[in-house]
Parts: sequence; C-alpha cells; structure tokens
Amino acid sequence: MNELEQKLILEIADDELVLGWRDSEWTGIAPMLEEDVAFSSIAQNEIGHARALYELVARELGTTADELAFDRSPDEYRCAPIVELRLLDWAQTIARHYLYEEADAIRLERLKRSDDPEIAGLAAKIDREEAYHRIHAQMWFDRLQGEPRFAAALAELRPQAAVLLDSELRGAHTPELPELWNEMTMVRRSQPAGTKW
Amino acid sequence: MNDQEFLEYVQSGGQVEATDELPDDYRAKLIKFIEMHGNSELMGVLPEREWILRAPTLQRKLALTAKVQDEVGHSQLIYRVVEDLGKPREQCLDDLISGKSKFHNVFHYPTKTWGDVGVIAWLVDAAAIISQKALLKCSYAPYARIMKKICWEESFHILHGRDVILTLMNGTGDQRELVQEAVTRWWGPLMQFHGNPIAKEEDPMYVWRIKSQGNEEARQQFLDGYVPQIWELGLTVPDPKLRKSGDGVWEYSEPDWDELRHVVTGHGPKTEERLDFRRMARENSAWVRQALLADAA
Repeated sequence: MNELEQKLILEIADDELVLGWRDSEWTGIAPMLEEDVAFSSIAQNEIGHARALYELVARELGTTADELAFDRSPDEYRCAPIVELRLLDWAQTIARHYLYEEADAIRLERLKRSDDPEIAGLAAKIDREEAYHRIHAQMWFDRLQGEPRFAAALAELRPQAAVLLDSELRGAHTPELPELWNEMTMVRRSQPAGTKW
Repeated sequence: MNDQEFLEYVQSGGQVEATDELPDDYRAKLIKFIEMHGNSELMGVLPEREWILRAPTLQRKLALTAKVQDEVGHSQLIYRVVEDLGKPREQCLDDLISGKSKFHNVFHYPTKTWGDVGVIAWLVDAAAIISQKALLKCSYAPYARIMKKICWEESFHILHGRDVILTLMNGTGDQRELVQEAVTRWWGPLMQFHGNPIAKEEDPMYVWRIKSQGNEEARQQFLDGYVPQIWELGLTVPDPKLRKSGDGVWEYSEPDWDELRHVVTGHGPKTEERLDFRRMARENSAWVRQALLADAA
C-alpha cells in the first residue's frame, strides 16, 4: 500500500467512524422503533467498516485500529465536516445519510478497482453492506421528498458532500469534532495509555 | 370455557393463543404485565445510551450499540404482543411518557461510570433474564414464544457485561474501584428488582400463570447464581447479613421496599429527566410519523 492509498483509506475510515458515532446517537430516540433498530444497524456497520479499514492501515504503520480510532488528536483526523455535524433532526439526518451514501457508492467503486487485492476485496465486502444503506436512504428520500424541511436540509448539506470525494478539500473541521472527540475518548483517556478496557 | 375452567386450564400448564377467547381480567392483567415489560426494555435503553458515545474501544462500542439495539428490538416485539391484545403501540408510548404506565425500578437510576455499564449488562441483565426465563412457560403462548428470542439475546448481554467486568477487574486499581463502586450503587435496586416476597398464590400474575415463579424464588435464584461469582472476583456486596444458610437459602437484609414503591411510581432519581427526554424526542419527530401516515393514506 503506497502513502497515497494509506491516506485515502484513513480518510474513509475516519468518515465511517465519525458518522457511525453520530448515527449511534439515534439509538433509543428515532421517530419509530423500527428506525431505531435500522439506524443502530447502520451505525454498527459503519463502525465495523472503519475498524476493517483502520486495521489495513494499522498493519502498515505498526499500530492498532483502536489507537488510530481514539488516540490521535482531533486535528489529525481526516474526516469530512459533513459527518461531524451533530444533527439530531430527522430531516437533516436523512439528508446527510442520502448524500453520504451517494458519495460513498462512487468512492467504493473506485476502491474496488484498486490494484491492491486487499483494498479491492475489502471495498467489495463493505459495498455489499452499503447496498442496504443505499436502499434505506432511498426509501426515506422517496418518503420525505415532499417535505419542505427535508428539501431545505438537502440544499443546505449538498455543497458539503463534495468534500467526501476530494482529498484536497479535507483538513478543516467543525467545532463539533473536538466535542465529539472529548466524549468518545473520555473513558479511554481516564487511564494510562495501553490500559485494557 | 368459563373463567373457572380457564383458570384451571392455565394452572395445569395449558397455553392459549391470541385468537382464543380470554377472560377480561386475564386480558387486562396480560396487557399490564407485558406493557410494563415493553416499557422497561425501551426505558432501559436510556441509561446505557449515554455511554454508547463513550465506549473506550471499537469492540466495546460495537457490542454496546448492538446490546442497546437488542433492547429496542425487544420492546418492538413486546409491544406487538400488547397490540394483539388490544392496546395499540402509540397508546402504550403515550401512557409511558405521561407517567400512566410503569417501568422497572432499575431503569430509574443514573449510570455514573463505565463501571455501571458493566454492572448493568452483567447483573441487571442477569436479574432480568431470571424473570424472563420464567416467562417461557407463560400461559399466553405468543408472549412465551417471543421470550425465547429475548432470553437468547439477553444471555449474550450477560457475557458482554461479564467480559467488561473481568477486563476492569484485571486492570488498574482505579478500574477495579469503578466496578466496586458500581456494585455498591446497584446492589439495593438489584435486591428490590424481583419485587416484595408476596406468596406466589396471592400474586395474580402467578395465579393466571402469566409468570411461573414467585418473586422470592427469582431473587434466590439470582443470589445463588451471582453472589459466588461476585465474591470470586474479589468484590464486596454491601450487605453484612448476606450469607447462604445451611439449608441453601440466602439470607439478606430486608430490601428497602419503600424505595421500590417510590421509584416505580415515578419518583426515581432519573425518572423525570428520562421521561422528559423521551417526550421531547417523541415531539420532535412527530412530523415524521405524520408525513408517513399522509404518505400511506
């Protein structure tokens, strides 16, 4: 895996990790129990993908998936601002979900054509799960299409989705990222590095 | 079957289906009992939910998210049984947030540390699975059937909880402290969990064979299964009177039944905050449900 590939894989892993963390915030409070279960599955898939991607890079860097996920400082993350936003509003959440899945599909198609069989294989595996996310996102898109607040959320977030497909645009973060980082690492940071949890 | 024959039928181990004719009193008791179970699964999500964001490794994050997802899934299944008995899910949810219906005592308390997360998954779920296993023989067959799936999943939660606890107990002094503090905090609510030791023949839920064991029987089973494990890990239970007597019965200090009554009638330390939170979430997403209904019409 060359340096460029490492960078790209880390970007995607960070996106999946942070989005998974954000999606998991719907656990217990989605508009209906069925969506609670669905969103929780999506969150688990995204975090599982992040873990698999981190593992690929961790091997090259001589570290672990957990260390990559938790032990960097917020400004070292390469995720796109759109996944960092704390959107406890269903219209915005679904708009982000739809836009993210749309971009992710394009990104995964590229990765599936990678010369590195490990990267291509993992991308194909991830894509098999993402296919269900896309069906879910499309179903909600169809249902909420006529809702003005959904149209507004899509219009607001669409420009930000471009960052998902362009490494050059990455690097800036929202104030929500350090807040999330603080919370997601607080238990882990309470004990010396290397402590088992 | 008249009511007396029905009673004899269920007391001799008979099971009934949703399509059978059910005595009104039996149906009302079933709804009350099963609805409270559904409420408890749903409210049980909230104490753990706060820690989903703080899970310290990817593996713990995945396991905790999956566990909480299971609880929501259980409430969905359970409310469906209530719905078949005549009370729609939306009404159950309305009654829950208005405080009209109840949920289990343990879900009214705060989750202060990662130690609590482990103790909840290990010991609270262990106490719950004892009650739930006693429902596998429930006289209402649809409820007994879903309990198979639920018990199976709960047993995974206990393994997850035990793993969290074992890891902490093998860790630093601070980590062991977290566990001990959590056990001390949760012991009172755990001892109250199975209810006061009313004779089972006087418990209407037993009389109708909705549940198949008495409260004290359940508590004894919990103590027998878990106190030795707690001790083996080097943890202390905050009850100087706790011991197993020569005849195999566990003796313990009288649990605080006033606290139990106070808590389940809606006055627990976190009751109001959690119901408010659920109320707010429900109000904020009302437009989504309305949009779907309009779409379906």
